[in-house]
Amino acid sequence: MRRFPWVSASAVAFLVILALLAPYLALPDPTRMDLAGRFAAPHASHLLGQDEYGRDVLSRLVWGARVSLSVSLGAALLAAVVGVTLGVIGGYLRGGAEFVTLRLTDILLCFPPMLLALLIVTLFGPGARTLIPVLAIVYAPSFARVAYAGALTIRSLDYVTAIEALGAGRPRIMARTILPNIAGPVLVQFSLAVAASMVLEAGLSFLGLGVTPPAPSWGLMIGAARATMSQAPQLLLWPCAALTAAILSINALCDGLRDYVDPQPAARRPTRLADRTAPGLAAPPSRDTVLSLRGLSVAIDTPRGAIQPVRDVSFDIKAGETLALVGESGSGKSLTGLALMGLLPPAARVEAGRAWLDGIEVLDSAPDIVRGLRGDRVAMIFQDPMSSLNPVHRVGDQIAEVILAHRDVGAADARSRAVALLRQVGVPDPPRRAAAYPHEMSGGMCQRVMIGMAVANGPRLLIADEPTTALDVTVQAQVLTLMSDLKRETGVALLFITHNLPVVAEIADRVVVLYAGQVVEQGDAAETFAHPRHPYTKALLGSAPREEGPPPEGIPGSVPSPGELPSGCCFAPRCAMRLAACERPPPLVEIGGGRTSRCIRWSEM
Amino acid sequence: MGWILRRIAISLLLIWVVSSIVFLAIHLVPGDPAEVLLSLGGSAPDADSVAALRAQLGLDQPILTQYLHSLSHFVVGDLGDSLSDGTPVMSEALRRLPRTLELIGAAALISTAAGVPAGVAAAVNRGGPLGRCFSALSGLALSTPVFVVGSLLVMIFAQWLRLAPAGGYVAFGEDPLRHLLLLSMPAATIALGLWAQIFRMTRSSLLDVLQRDFIRTARAKGLREHAVIMRHALRNALAPILTVLALNVGSLLGGTVLVEYIFNWPGLSGALVEAVNNRDYPMVVGCIVIISTLFVSLNLLVDIAYGLLDPRVRAR
Ligand code: SF4
Repeated sequence: MRRFPWVSASAVAFLVILALLAPYLALPDPTRMDLAGRFAAPHASHLLGQDEYGRDVLSRLVWGARVSLSVSLGAALLAAVVGVTLGVIGGYLRGGAEFVTLRLTDILLCFPPMLLALLIVTLFGPGARTLIPVLAIVYAPSFARVAYAGALTIRSLDYVTAIEALGAGRPRIMARTILPNIAGPVLVQFSLAVAASMVLEAGLSFLGLGVTPPAPSWGLMIGAARATMSQAPQLLLWPCAALTAAILSINALCDGLRDYVDPQPAARRPTRLADRTAPGLAAPPSRDTVLSLRGLSVAIDTPRGAIQPVRDVSFDIKAGETLALVGESGSGKSLTGLALMGLLPPAARVEAGRAWLDGIEVLDSAPDIVRGLRGDRVAMIFQDPMSSLNPVHRVGDQIAEVILAHRDVGAADARSRAVALLRQVGVPDPPRRAAAYPHEMSGGMCQRVMIGMAVANGPRLLIADEPTTALDVTVQAQVLTLMSDLKRETGVALLFITHNLPVVAEIADRVVVLYAGQVVEQGDAAETFAHPRHPYTKALLGSAPREEGPPPEGIPGSVPSPGELPSGCCFAPRCAMRLAACERPPPLVEIGGGRTSRCIRWSEM
Repeated sequence: MGWILRRIAISLLLIWVVSSIVFLAIHLVPGDPAEVLLSLGGSAPDADSVAALRAQLGLDQPILTQYLHSLSHFVVGDLGDSLSDGTPVMSEALRRLPRTLELIGAAALISTAAGVPAGVAAAVNRGGPLGRCFSALSGLALSTPVFVVGSLLVMIFAQWLRLAPAGGYVAFGEDPLRHLLLLSMPAATIALGLWAQIFRMTRSSLLDVLQRDFIRTARAKGLREHAVIMRHALRNALAPILTVLALNVGSLLGGTVLVEYIFNWPGLSGALVEAVNNRDYPMVVGCIVIISTLFVSLNLLVDIAYGLLDPRVRAR
């Protein structure tokens, strides 16, 4: 929740108090003329001087605030009452009431506000008393819209249905539950309407169609001062400044209220690549190792201090190999993939670690070097193919774009390569599909397009983040087959991020199990599944959906959040094999056969 | 094409409702327009001249007859004759409308040309000094009413610096340079507030789009940041910016009333103020119907542009 906007609120309060106290401030009568003192400079009895009729400028400004505020507050209040009533009735009762409310506001919103005001002034004549209803009519529709939208959402909430079932009367429900809930947006709308009415009132008065002279009004003062601006520019400047300052503070209050009532996540800090510690485990990667990751830690700064959703993760991937990165959601597997691509969200940063892709360091290199690798030597496909494609570009162009970004080819060449890629990833009728937009294709087709885009430049490493989760089961199988075919044909190394163990068993050569941001077990996929050496891996296998037999039991408990990790083994709260010794953090140990485990009782399993 | 036709039909319906309401408002409000007109001088009018004027204006007919009569004339583009000088409202309006449109067009051009780049700059260097500077400026611009801006511009550029005339109008054909000089100040006055709106909308809409999945894909392709912003983000951010422009055309058309008055620009809105002052009912109704029609048609154009920008809208 944001802070209450005190500064602008006190500015507005000052204005209101000034307007209220105007009669008691011992100011000269704002309408008393003094022809001898025309255009007099400021002096003791007239602090801001006198105007073209010798009236006191300061007094007219203060009284002008009173007129301006009473008109705009009165109009906004009236508009709020009328508009909110209409909106709530329309949104809650639906049917005929809804139709009338919506169409009425539609029609009123067809008139530009100033025109509507001019029309009504033509009919009823100018003057402060007409102004309030005029402005109320102009601004009621926006209140009706806000209240209608609020009432619609709240109406469908469970507790309204519940008290309705308890037999509460409709008027009571509207007054007692809906009104307090839409108070926030209505309040914001109210301050908007006050500012807008103030502008409109001043504008109408400026034209001589609003407040009638000699009553003091800022708009009138500005209008009158225009005639004499060459001899007395201050007469123009003062009311201009007063009006602008008043509207500025109301607008600022309005913005502040909006943030206060409807808090959005606070602005994120840009990623800083500095301040990283090298872990010092920099083993030079061997030749056929495509990716070598050492000691990756990712940190996210939160209001309550930094958390570490990824801690000290290391692994290697060889050419043509598939490594599955497995864990429940929140285990840090996606962040690991994004960190390798240099695509961490702005709130997250790499805190420690090194990674070599084809011998090129990627975690600590200049952003431009990493950008040059992305889409070329390393590519990534994501969970939701529909939202990952740009809705306004044709899919063929989106594929051609990645070729053009890294290869020195012409646009026509790139486009024909794109069509060939679509054919390669099994999209039927590629030339026609290349001209389609993403929304015209199914999810499975979109994921094929994403895969085509990823392999367009023949990458060495392909990172796939839950590539089948958003798809139908049959389509899942097809996409998996496509990926293993591509791997066989091109020798690309695959980092497959998933929580779906049956998929892993089908496609992976090796597996890395993550829990609470740490590697807990790592090794050959078949062996690990046959003989897990960590209670978490075993529990995961037990909870995976099976084709026959009883439905799996979930793992009791839940993943600890990165803010409150246990001091010892992270899995201890959910572990059936827990011992007193598990209170100390267990190390990741080699257990032979190229496997590692982070459990002190691995040998007993 | 179906979606375009449907939107055109809705717009025509709205225009019909609006003109009917204006008509009814004039006739259902207590007080006889003829009597009000004749008593403008301050003296009570005699019954004979009121009756004569009523007959002349057709006010003695039943209201339904009057309504159908004026509606049938509206449809063929006849909005009646001005009460003050007897010229047909339509021809007078058509003579003045292009000048108002020119003013709005110039303002929209200036503010978009300055607002979109400023918004992009502020979104890309979030929290940077340039962005903050623009934000503060837009806050001030949004809080300064057009007639304040206009009056101050006249004082500074016409009175003090003597760089431009305080107002007036010369046809483009007569003296192009002077025409543009006279256009510059009123256009700049309207453009200031609009600039602030466009700037803010560009910034927030771009920030929103930059969070989407397809931007991550674009980055994953290894595109330069420039290409990510221009090709992938900005195009998707344009629709809300366009909406802001369209929604503001309403207040813009209102704003021209004051600006034309200040700068003596002989456009349609200026004629409206004059007509309100003279209680020239046919002229008031005519101007309002024309401007509202314009407003509705602009919204229609924006809807169509939306469809062209975002292929998904067409499908709906
Ligand atoms: S270290 Fe202890 S608590 Fe942790 S998994 Fe092994 S047995 Fe369970």
